[in-house]
Amino acid sequence: MTAIAGPSRHRRTLACLIAATAIIVGACGDGGATTAPASAEPGATQAASAEPGATTAPELEGSISFLHKYSDPRYAPYFEAVVAAYMAEHPKVQVEIQAESDQGVKDKLRVLAASNTLPDVYFSWAGDFTKKFVRGNLAKDLTGDVTGEWAERFTPAALEAYTYDGKLYGVPITLDAKYMVYNTKLFADNGVAVPTTLEELLATCDTFEAKGIEPIAFGNQFGWPAIHFMTQLNPYYVPAATLQMDYAPETGAFTDAGYGKALDAFAEINSRCLTQGANGISHEAAQANFLAGKAAMHYIEAVEFFALTEKGGAPADLANNWDFFMLPAPADAPGDTGYLTGAPDGFLVNASSEQLDIALDFLNYLTTLDNAKKMVADLGWLSPVQGSATADNTFPQNVQVIEDIATATGMAIWLDTVTHIDVANAYLNGVQAMLDGTKTTADVVADIQAAAATAKAASE
Amino acid sequence: MTGTTRRGGWSMLLWVAPAVLLLVVFVYYPVVENLRLSLYRWSPFSPREVFVGLDNYATLGADPVFWSSLFNNAAYAVVSVVFQVGGGLVLAAVLEELVRGRLKGLLRTIYFVPAVLSLTITGLLFQFMYNPQIGLVNGLLDVLGLDAWKHSWLGESATAIWAIIAMSQWQSVGYVAVLFIVAMQRIPRELYEAAYIDGASRVQAFLRITLPLVREMTLLAMIITVSGAFLVMNEVWVMTAGGPNNASHTLGTWLYKSAFFNDQMGYAAAIAVVIFIITMTASILQLFLGRGKAVQY
Repeated sequence: MTAIAGPSRHRRTLACLIAATAIIVGACGDGGATTAPASAEPGATQAASAEPGATTAPELEGSISFLHKYSDPRYAPYFEAVVAAYMAEHPKVQVEIQAESDQGVKDKLRVLAASNTLPDVYFSWAGDFTKKFVRGNLAKDLTGDVTGEWAERFTPAALEAYTYDGKLYGVPITLDAKYMVYNTKLFADNGVAVPTTLEELLATCDTFEAKGIEPIAFGNQFGWPAIHFMTQLNPYYVPAATLQMDYAPETGAFTDAGYGKALDAFAEINSRCLTQGANGISHEAAQANFLAGKAAMHYIEAVEFFALTEKGGAPADLANNWDFFMLPAPADAPGDTGYLTGAPDGFLVNASSEQLDIALDFLNYLTTLDNAKKMVADLGWLSPVQGSATADNTFPQNVQVIEDIATATGMAIWLDTVTHIDVANAYLNGVQAMLDGTKTTADVVADIQAAAATAKAASE
Repeated sequence: MTGTTRRGGWSMLLWVAPAVLLLVVFVYYPVVENLRLSLYRWSPFSPREVFVGLDNYATLGADPVFWSSLFNNAAYAVVSVVFQVGGGLVLAAVLEELVRGRLKGLLRTIYFVPAVLSLTITGLLFQFMYNPQIGLVNGLLDVLGLDAWKHSWLGESATAIWAIIAMSQWQSVGYVAVLFIVAMQRIPRELYEAAYIDGASRVQAFLRITLPLVREMTLLAMIITVSGAFLVMNEVWVMTAGGPNNASHTLGTWLYKSAFFNDQMGYAAAIAVVIFIITMTASILQLFLGRGKAVQY
């Protein structure tokens, strides 16, 4: 028996209860923080801030909430500084910052969405994660707002990642891509050239393995690092049109033989290149091995490049001797070898926000060229704002990444966020099982197809 | 009934009302509300709830991860009873009977310290210990020439949950031992002196005097460990997040993942109902079995 229930009061109650339980048991994540920069004008509200004799230019008044996932002490100060600067320019506006961790924001967004109390501006990953907000009418259509000079600031691919059915729902803040970084000294000392095909990469791994050097430092404790390999391998083995159909829950089937071949390729990379027992090693522990010069290569996101610089804490030996290349495609790849794994991260605007003008103005300010340059310089991240990364404000590899992204055919968004959650789980669990030898490629493909069928049925 | 008694009754009700109100709002209402919501299918992103009757419970019965999670909780409970309750009892008896002076206090502190460490910290600490490349556990096996026993302890489906359970025993045995020490210190020394005069050995004294007289504490320790074993979540989440391939999930982590990753709030509520029934039943059973059997000499 099925019936549609009435109001969402009970859902809100349970969401709050679950949230309270999660807090009580101290569930993962480093917890959130709600702050307002010291320069904020406390208590400014629309009504209270109406002052006689205001200037003729329309002045923004009121307060908005802003949820981001950069509570890490290395990153939070940048956002606090930008918010403080914005409030200094708009004395009658208050921006309340809600800072969360990468994991914490996933929980918080769900609780807030369930209780219909989303902040005015909130973080969201591109892909199906954002689509959930769109389907629930929780994200404002920004197509008519992000136009003209504002829209032209961005790399088109970054806006494309937040566009669904021809409508724009998000404003990108960072730009990310996945690359194989390598220790140039180890490569030179061992007479190894940068591989240009998957076969050459495997041979390179054999060379390092024979010399007692770990080929690719790899930690897959929470599953996503292996999924990033699959995100890149799938477009190599499966035609782009098929991928697009399969990644959409409504049409996904995953029956193309290329999916199995991509998994086989990963199994081969694992056996010849990757750290064994990787499910028991964190990504950070693996990265420490690369930083220490014990591994020749490491597959990381461009936002992690900063950690390989001296300013980011890397030893000089490594900081002065690394470069990167795209995970190479097999020589006879039937798919598109120009696709690059990666996606922008960005912010959505609450469709029910009562301060839309401030929310949009703030997002506009957050993504000005000056602020984008500051972000690149302060955090070492890449911005989707064109011209924000130059030799003057960042290290050479970051400038190269911008150039490289510009040549990519398209961006392959992270497999665990672009697909339906059931399919993402089938990949995450299946690849982990392949690594610990409890499942074969055929088992994993069958699981993915079953998950796709479930997702398809649920979306009908 | 006299007026004074009636006034006393109202006064009594007023005194207990705040506590009752808090319990109703924060314990009983959520339990009932959770039960109701377990009959619905809803996602935090969806504007509607769909009544599905007992479908969530049927899904639960057919979900292999639910059953493996339940098994992991049961394994957690059995191992915890053996090592925390049994081990804690023996440890307490050894500390009380065989160790004297400052060493006794020092050892008591050493055994208790892990219990006050944050689960996140111990989880991260043991992640390093279990690391297949640089971990102490595999290093020790290397030194002992037991290479064949080396594993990626947290990275293999067959070993992950056992590695977490082992860490939990290390962390909690000292806490249970301290509970037993408190109970043992309340046993009159004359009983032991009389037993030793009659020729009893230390083991006999432990079995005939200590064990019966700490029965109530044993019951309490069992309730704590068994209930705790079915509520375990943090250590699993920090160390494996239920992986690899869902092998180390417990009911708590599977509930959390279902709610906050898979967006299946109704299903998560059904798991919560099962956890509630199990822990409630275990507690009632243990209280019933231990009722009226307090030993006194």
